[in-house]
Amino acid sequence: MKPAALGPNKNAKERSKTGNLFTEIWKHRMTYTLLIPGIIWLILFAYLPMGGLSLAFKHYKANMGIWGSPWVGLENFKYVFRDPTFAQAVWRTLYINIIKLIITFPFPILLALLLNELRMRKTKKLFQTIFTFPQFLSWIIVSGIVINVLSYDGLLNSALQLLGLPTINFLGSEPMFLPMLILTDIWKSTGWGAIIFLAAISGIDQDQYESAQIDGASRMQQIFKITLPNILPTVTVMFILNVGGLMSAGFDQIFNLANAATQNVSQVLDVYIYRITFQSSTDFSFSTAVSLFRSLVNMILLLAADRVAKLMGGDGLFR
Amino acid sequence: MSTHAEKRHKYRVGKMTLLDYIMFIVLIVLALIILIPFLNVIAISLASQKEYADNPMLLWPKHPTLDAYRALFEDGRLLTGFWNTIKILVVGLPLSLFLTSTMAYGLSRNKFPGKKIIFFLVLFTMIFNGGIVPLYLVMKSLHLTGSLWSVILVGSFSAFNMILMMNYFQGLPESLMESARLDGAGEWRILFSVVLPLAAPIMATITLFYGVAFWNGWYDAMIFLRKAEMLPLQNVLRTIIVESSTNVSNAASVDALNKSGFSTGMKMASVFVSMVPIMCFFPMLQKHFAKGVLTGAIKT
Repeated sequence: MKPAALGPNKNAKERSKTGNLFTEIWKHRMTYTLLIPGIIWLILFAYLPMGGLSLAFKHYKANMGIWGSPWVGLENFKYVFRDPTFAQAVWRTLYINIIKLIITFPFPILLALLLNELRMRKTKKLFQTIFTFPQFLSWIIVSGIVINVLSYDGLLNSALQLLGLPTINFLGSEPMFLPMLILTDIWKSTGWGAIIFLAAISGIDQDQYESAQIDGASRMQQIFKITLPNILPTVTVMFILNVGGLMSAGFDQIFNLANAATQNVSQVLDVYIYRITFQSSTDFSFSTAVSLFRSLVNMILLLAADRVAKLMGGDGLFR
Repeated sequence: MSTHAEKRHKYRVGKMTLLDYIMFIVLIVLALIILIPFLNVIAISLASQKEYADNPMLLWPKHPTLDAYRALFEDGRLLTGFWNTIKILVVGLPLSLFLTSTMAYGLSRNKFPGKKIIFFLVLFTMIFNGGIVPLYLVMKSLHLTGSLWSVILVGSFSAFNMILMMNYFQGLPESLMESARLDGAGEWRILFSVVLPLAAPIMATITLFYGVAFWNGWYDAMIFLRKAEMLPLQNVLRTIIVESSTNVSNAASVDALNKSGFSTGMKMASVFVSMVPIMCFFPMLQKHFAKGVLTGAIKT
């Protein structure tokens, strides 16, 4: 794995290829015992559930469990794809996440540029601390703050009223749901997102700026001609990785900021799966079929995003 | 701008231009947008009902009172949540560190039969998972639903953290482990008495990663736990905040508020109380998470 570590064992490695497999296994028996706890965890909580996805092709009977229920082929999927709420949930997921991605994506870059241009080091640190803090709070805590600030009689509406402006029903109206998600997401995540771009900026060769300054380039010119082109690979990779998450992003936020008034517009795929599985009493086979669809699309998006990121010359998710 | 060939990042006193001032003001405004909601939450938690009703834009209570906090602790539900989360952390953190470090050290060893397959099986969990429905059924068949163990066990291993740790272990000098091996130490002894003492930085990082995940986690508990007295902090907070304010938007909210038994002051007090531990650890969190993120792509 690591060249330096392989050095002294080169001979052993060559011998292992021709040598007896069992001697090799016996030689490493201690290493295998180290792996056992982790493997048990993987089997119980990752691979058994994956096997449980077979339920998507079965008719679930509670008394027979996952493994004993009878096979029904693709029958569940027939119902899934005929269900209009399923199609709506898929569409809603993509709609919310694509619009959210397009609008929120530039903010961390702008903030990173702004912070980078700030000359006062200590103040910069303080700003970074303030901006990144909300990222570490759960969406439940943030929902508490958001509901308090955006509710009908909350801080923001009271301020609007004071200024003689019309109040906005942020939380309880369908057309305001997506703008509210975008607003709160920017509030929570922009600062943290900026950290990644700031790191990319700090990696830029300072000589480029020096020679630009000698040539009399203005700061704006330096930003557009040096900083932005240099962080473009990072920007591309971050964007593509976000595309990889389109099917699953935002569940915590949506689930905790939705309410009775926004029930319909908040039904993204993960919310739909939760509601049909644990709230209404649809059979588990049906929701497993939806789950399998979701996991597959997720995987395809992720792998495609990874491939594209690599083609663009970035690192991708998996190197 | 400056034509001096000095380093751009050097502190340049007395060279603030108009542009600098504008950017500084923009940053201050942005910082206020982040801070004011927090101030509002804290102020309301410290104000009397009447003071809040008179002015919802409260940022600094004139007559601070701890009534809301007193009522919150008397109610006790949030405290139960706190206690449950602490139980999860006390058992979950050592368990997750054990599972993660044993596997990370095992996989950081030199080539052995099956290493690639096992590593792939770990990596695959990052790309594909069964989703919540089969996981719920498996937990149920293991008789873990309704017990805190379900939440602890599900959260006690993460492929991402394992790979971060594995990369760190691979960077340690092999000669140290080799000499311990010559002294007759087994791999377990080497892990605990040679590798882990050298791995304090990564252990701190990973502990914080798991700690924040356990602290902020709520979905598993919502699915696996049924009894209210078992719910961790976030879920209790969710009951107090989200579920009692389904109709915040209309005038009926006043009734809903009264029914839930939690005044706005108490709600904001519970938000603040749930936030305090994150605030205390924040300087550490910021440093370690940035490091984790900047390690960037997962090297395999």
